[in-house]
Amino acid sequence: MRVFKTISHYLRVTLACVKMAFLIIVEYPSSIIGWLISNPIQFIVGFATIQFVVEQFGEINGWNYGQLAVLYGLSVISHALSMIFFVQGWFMGMYVIEGEFDRYLTRPLSVLYQFFFTQINVFGITDLIPGICVFIYGCYKIHFTVNIMNVLCIIIMLAGATLIRGGVYILLGTSSFFTRSANDFGQYTQEIFDKTTMYPISMYPESLQFILTYIIPIGWVSFYPVSSMLSIGDSVSGFPQVAGITLIVGMVVMTIAGIFFKYGLRSYESAGN
Amino acid sequence: MIEVKNLCKEYHVVKKEEGIKGALKGLVKRESHKIAAVSNINFNIKEGEIVGFIGPNGAGKSTTIKMMSGILTPTSGEVFIDGKDITKHRKEVVRNIGVVFGQRTQLNWDLRLGETFELLRHIYQVDKEQYLKTLDTMDEILGVKELLDKPVRQMSLGQRVKGDLVAAMIHSPKVLFLDEPTIGLDVSSKYALRKFIKEINERRGTTIILTTHDLGDIQELCDRIIIINNGSIMEDGNLSGIVDRIAPYKTLIIQYFDEKIPEVEGAELIETDGNVAKYRFMKSETTAAKLIEELSAKKPIQDIAVEETGIEEIIRIAYS
Repeated sequence: MRVFKTISHYLRVTLACVKMAFLIIVEYPSSIIGWLISNPIQFIVGFATIQFVVEQFGEINGWNYGQLAVLYGLSVISHALSMIFFVQGWFMGMYVIEGEFDRYLTRPLSVLYQFFFTQINVFGITDLIPGICVFIYGCYKIHFTVNIMNVLCIIIMLAGATLIRGGVYILLGTSSFFTRSANDFGQYTQEIFDKTTMYPISMYPESLQFILTYIIPIGWVSFYPVSSMLSIGDSVSGFPQVAGITLIVGMVVMTIAGIFFKYGLRSYESAGN
Repeated sequence: MIEVKNLCKEYHVVKKEEGIKGALKGLVKRESHKIAAVSNINFNIKEGEIVGFIGPNGAGKSTTIKMMSGILTPTSGEVFIDGKDITKHRKEVVRNIGVVFGQRTQLNWDLRLGETFELLRHIYQVDKEQYLKTLDTMDEILGVKELLDKPVRQMSLGQRVKGDLVAAMIHSPKVLFLDEPTIGLDVSSKYALRKFIKEINERRGTTIILTTHDLGDIQELCDRIIIINNGSIMEDGNLSGIVDRIAPYKTLIIQYFDEKIPEVEGAELIETDGNVAKYRFMKSETTAAKLIEELSAKKPIQDIAVEETGIEEIIRIAYS
């Protein structure tokens, strides 16, 4: 009973936050036009690069053009989702230095929840559009069969992938509590995620693959689930299982990140007046 | 209402050495030492009290108030609010507290003030009816309704602080923490803010903890002041008690017609400047009237003034 009350409390606050986020967009309508133009271009150009490479070499490590489009598309979609919910993680250092956690700590909700959701980034939707376009295009190219099971698995996989990304943002951001520097990890993380989720990681050396599978499980963001979804290489098991594992990996990463954040918060020093 | 027990806060400070050589050495071997910002503070605050924390910059008053409001984790010691440990039950305890920190705002910069209130209403689960009632009360005291539709970015500092005060009161907290609330405000905004503090304390019995450098705030508001310096409590009591203990004297300033300054029994001549003389006398021993009478018998007097030792002076003495 109490759990439901808590959940409905958080849902109401989330709704109020989303409403505020939209009001802010309406307040500054010109900025959305900027985002609508610049964000899709970024990813379309990225995809054009892949297209060029594939045309030169025929395929990348056993992945053909359509399959790469699916991989790329899903990677951009989970990136966009992580931008909507977790982008604040990139700027955690700034929040630590400026003492912005003060206000979250004096309110009766989870600090991490407030940090992400009171400033939910609805602009992230503009990243979603190119991702969905490329994904659908890829599905069309490889004649992917769309059924309820597949759609469900893709949703589960995307949820897991988004949690992995968000968890990594939190883990990196939390280091600011100890270093007390306003490091902005955004650019690095995006570079790393771009290079490891938009291309098949099987093209990297085995040691690197090992790291990307077990240590920093970025391989699960798109490579493993999409390999299994499209039955490429020697997939361990079927798509539903791998999608499920992705979600579990996501939840584990997020839990570890949450614990680490809580630990970091104990060292929070606010900001002097 | 509030119990503070053996509260301590230490910070680790890494020792930095000079130049590149020092910086490289620091990479290999970090010498850090602990600095106690607050050491072993104890006090209790009763429901309905207005308590002012004063002390020089870096004395530990902000650190103390931040530990009391759950922002900083104490190194050791406990803070109980309404019987519950804030470190262990943060989410539960902060429902009973409101916080306004003068230099920062919790209002959403881009939107009308009412939107922030609406969000806070959801965060603290205040129903619409209760919210409107609180807003009515706040409007009576502070005149805030006219600001509801104004975007926060267009507000003056005075209006913004009003907005922050109401934002902190939306859930009708039992304890209100104010960290330098009057900083940078003009006279009329300061007046409004002090009136607000007095009225919510009287009407709702809200316990109020404030830190300030503005001695007017202390004089007008605080039943009790706690002076903090170097992380410890130097004085804790009501203002007049502290004044009587630290500075049991007044200063009599007399301007004569010429520079021949007479002395008088019962007062010490502490300063002369041309034809102006300052005498210090113990309040318990004599009165200004008596001294003026005796002095005017010796020399004609042009002008007089009596100075109560200002809190400024009191604090300076207490700090040293």
